[in-house]
Amino acid sequence: MAVETPSRLTTGTPPAAAKPETGQPWKERWGGLFFVAPFLLLFALFMLWPIVSGLWNSFFNTSLAGVKHEFLGLQNWRDLFGDPAVWSSLKNTLVFTAMSTPPLVIIALVMALLANRRGVLGWLLRFAYFAPFVLPATVVTLIWVWIYQPGFGLVNGLLTAGGFAEIDWLNTENRAMLAVVITTVWWTVGFNFLLYLAALQGIPAQVYEAAAIDGANGRQQLFRITLPLLGRTTGLIIVLQLVASLKIFDQIYLMTNGGPNYATRPIIQYIYESGFTSYRIGYASAISYLFFAVIVIVAVAQFKLFSGRGEDA
Amino acid sequence: MRPDSPPFRPGRRAVLGGLLGALALTGCGSLRGKPKVREWNLFGGGDGARLLQIHQQYVAEHPDVAFEAHTLAWGPPFYTKLAMSAAGGRAPEVATLHLSRLKGFSPTTMLDPIPVELLADAGVTESDFLPTSWNRAVVDGKLYAVPLDTHPFVLYYNTEICQKAGLLEADGRIKTVKGVDAFLEMLKAVKDVTGKFAASVETTNPWRLWWTLYGQLEGKFFDDTGTRLILDDAKALEALNLMAKLAADGLTPRSSNYSALVAQFSNGDAGLSFNGEWEVTTYQTAKMPFSMAPFPVVYDVPKFAGDAHTFVLPHQSNRNKADTKATVEYIAWMLKHSADWAAGGHIPAYQPVAKSQEYLDLKPQAEYRSVAPDVLFDPDAWFSGSGAQLQNEAAAAFSGVFSGQATPKAALAQFKAATQKLLDTPSPV
Amino acid sequence: MTTATLPVATRTPRRRQQWTFPKAASAVGAVILAVIWLIPLLWALDTSLKPEPETTRAPITWLPEAPTTGAYRSVIEQGDLLRWFLNSTVVSVLVTALTLVVSVLAAYGFSRTTFPGRRVLFGLIIAGILVPPQVLIVPLFQEMTGLGLVDTYWGIVLPQVVAPVMVFVLKKFFDGISRDYEDAARVDGASRWRIVWSVMVPMSRPILVAVGIFTFIGAWNNFLWPFIVTTDPSMMTIPVGLANVQGSYGLRYAQIMASAVLGGLPLLIVYALFQRHVVRGVGDAGIKG
Repeated sequence: MAVETPSRLTTGTPPAAAKPETGQPWKERWGGLFFVAPFLLLFALFMLWPIVSGLWNSFFNTSLAGVKHEFLGLQNWRDLFGDPAVWSSLKNTLVFTAMSTPPLVIIALVMALLANRRGVLGWLLRFAYFAPFVLPATVVTLIWVWIYQPGFGLVNGLLTAGGFAEIDWLNTENRAMLAVVITTVWWTVGFNFLLYLAALQGIPAQVYEAAAIDGANGRQQLFRITLPLLGRTTGLIIVLQLVASLKIFDQIYLMTNGGPNYATRPIIQYIYESGFTSYRIGYASAISYLFFAVIVIVAVAQFKLFSGRGEDA
Repeated sequence: MRPDSPPFRPGRRAVLGGLLGALALTGCGSLRGKPKVREWNLFGGGDGARLLQIHQQYVAEHPDVAFEAHTLAWGPPFYTKLAMSAAGGRAPEVATLHLSRLKGFSPTTMLDPIPVELLADAGVTESDFLPTSWNRAVVDGKLYAVPLDTHPFVLYYNTEICQKAGLLEADGRIKTVKGVDAFLEMLKAVKDVTGKFAASVETTNPWRLWWTLYGQLEGKFFDDTGTRLILDDAKALEALNLMAKLAADGLTPRSSNYSALVAQFSNGDAGLSFNGEWEVTTYQTAKMPFSMAPFPVVYDVPKFAGDAHTFVLPHQSNRNKADTKATVEYIAWMLKHSADWAAGGHIPAYQPVAKSQEYLDLKPQAEYRSVAPDVLFDPDAWFSGSGAQLQNEAAAAFSGVFSGQATPKAALAQFKAATQKLLDTPSPV
Repeated sequence: MTTATLPVATRTPRRRQQWTFPKAASAVGAVILAVIWLIPLLWALDTSLKPEPETTRAPITWLPEAPTTGAYRSVIEQGDLLRWFLNSTVVSVLVTALTLVVSVLAAYGFSRTTFPGRRVLFGLIIAGILVPPQVLIVPLFQEMTGLGLVDTYWGIVLPQVVAPVMVFVLKKFFDGISRDYEDAARVDGASRWRIVWSVMVPMSRPILVAVGIFTFIGAWNNFLWPFIVTTDPSMMTIPVGLANVQGSYGLRYAQIMASAVLGGLPLLIVYALFQRHVVRGVGDAGIKG
């Protein structure tokens, strides 16, 4: 992307060599710290300190009520490995990620291909596909819980009009996660859509003109030119999407509260419940660290996997 | 050769201005001058509407107090938030708390003791309550909660539907039903009239129903030390089997949440409803023909799941004397006007009101207030009580019994395992 | 010769579009998908204009039979919606302003100055990108109780100002700006502070606008952290306050939908006004990859 130049600077006049050194060498050497200091202070206070204190707390039975603070050694860690709720909630998070990532990539691609046009139609399409993304989670879930409502909700209304039986989406164990995934796709596909759109618009027209001259039809252009050129973007989208999905909490908490019967509870919700509902701050800190390790492993694995290929367009 | 004068300069001033403005806003907290009373409660639905009315009257009578009430969703959302707020030290002046949750809330660190002298000044003393209620509210010799009411599990019935089903006595009251067979017959008769369901229930959280049935079988839960689970499997299964049968025979829905419970009874899809007594206002507002009765004694002894609401003072790091005095006066005022609260269904804990003619005349409250001594509180443990872990585990396990997703045996096993796990967890209070 | 898949954002002269079947089909498909995508919002709006009893009728009615704005009036009068709106505005503006200022300064420091430990510190910040905020909620809450910042604006704002990604992106951008401009300003006697605001910032306007808009949207829509650190309903931001709505409004679906519509409206308007910047911002982010 081109760097904008201030209009009035002329070129070629800056002094050739030495920069004007005003002030003591101390200022030159350490002055830079003042610029990074505000950020570093906040970083230390609100990122580094919690990381350290979280790890510290995981070795104690710290309670939210402030009554207990006894050293437990590795007891919390042993407990969490034997706690089925930790593993089932981690599994729910992984299931959510696996179910939601393919549609979030494919539908975004289809949308970008459909919306890549000028004029009012293009503006309207871009608005419709991306608008849900700017809504807060609570607005999205209020609307969709209402849509899934049995008895008088939109989805069930359509089902019964079509002659099918109603489904109590959010209270049925093997349907609740699907319902949450559908809502999530509606909500967040817009971001991936824009990434694809930008990539599509970056493909020079000449490529297609040349192919058309060679006699390639629309379908061939799509599969032989467009899709391969989007490979790098697809890789980026998958990487971002996987890590984002692992951090799922908002929609599930708001729509099903982790139910029915814990079938949708993601691991962040279990951390929340252990720490704040059950008062077990130390235990919740330990689970947070386990989760942190999972995220780091996934992010690093992806980085290795995807940075090797696709650097070239 | 200078670059253009940066367009960001005005931006910077705007930023600084905004920061200063925001700083001013953060500093400005409450209205100083009037004592403030902020109240948190978990009353939605019929209770919520009733409380709103009562609070409006309080505000009208107390123009010298800055009063704010907030309702949070019943259960874990309310209790978690209240605990976090008490931990943060900026909790509201007063909150409602279920008596069954008091111990598990860590009252000595998360609550401030009730100033009994101020309470006496406002006209409320220990002698105004039943000893059982008062004693449960005292921890380590200090009073931490002021009881407001008791609320048992009851039977609602649609008088028109039950009339058609031949279930009413000459005086219009529903016939007393005793024993499983009579219970099922009553339900079948109602279902024949409605064509849909006999009774509406909350299948997503059937704890109260199960606890009532199990209590009527005189099943025990914890041993005397409170550390061992001594659940009677046979009795527990009997109750669960009955619940499964209700759904299987179409007497209750297979899956319905709390809103559905209310909706189905008010629009006549179900002629009966098994619920706590707090939806009186909702059904009266809907102008439907209904009355209430004690829940049938399906098994051996009359026992009904229930709890009590109390007022507590959540912990504040800097407690203001004027606010606290106004708060205690608020509590006393609420107690003295608890006949209005009882109009919403609950049984007052404040004896002067419970014995008053105003309360005794209330219908349909008169039909079930006799069960107050037989109210069965939740098992006594730090993880138990209304909306606490134990109830959540029961909800998770037992809802499958209605929907058919779990057999009673499997549901019981899941519940016992979860309870044992809770018992084995070191108590954080 | 088909023109079905010609990308439109090109500099070549516009051809006369031939409406071949594939092209028409793709346009129709696009519109159908857009309509489907808009349905939930339209349905929410539709419900919010119905009188309450009509919302729970079965079979459902598609359009309100007696449209009314009663739900909106109730929500605005009775609820805390206006206060939440104020809170969201204060928080989002503070977060955006502070993030921009702090990140610009830090990015300049890392890009243009040399001080001992610069590389190590920058590496630390990169590592910070890997830390998801969700992992920190428990220790951060404990820290906030210790600092007495629970239920305060600063408690909500400060952790959100720490944005290692922004520092990283801005630093890379600054690296790409030729040093000539600064040197020229230095010759004129400008201090480094002045250079940041007079040279670097104006030249980074597009990316700052994009960063600003995304930070604002992110701060406005942030649910988890404000949910954790605010317990007092009068301190809540819109997303958190609305989550309490179901409990307080009970079964009044028209009111619930009205509050949802009102809750989503501000950002929809922001998006409609700034669509160009948002699209460009995401695109740039993607290309930088």
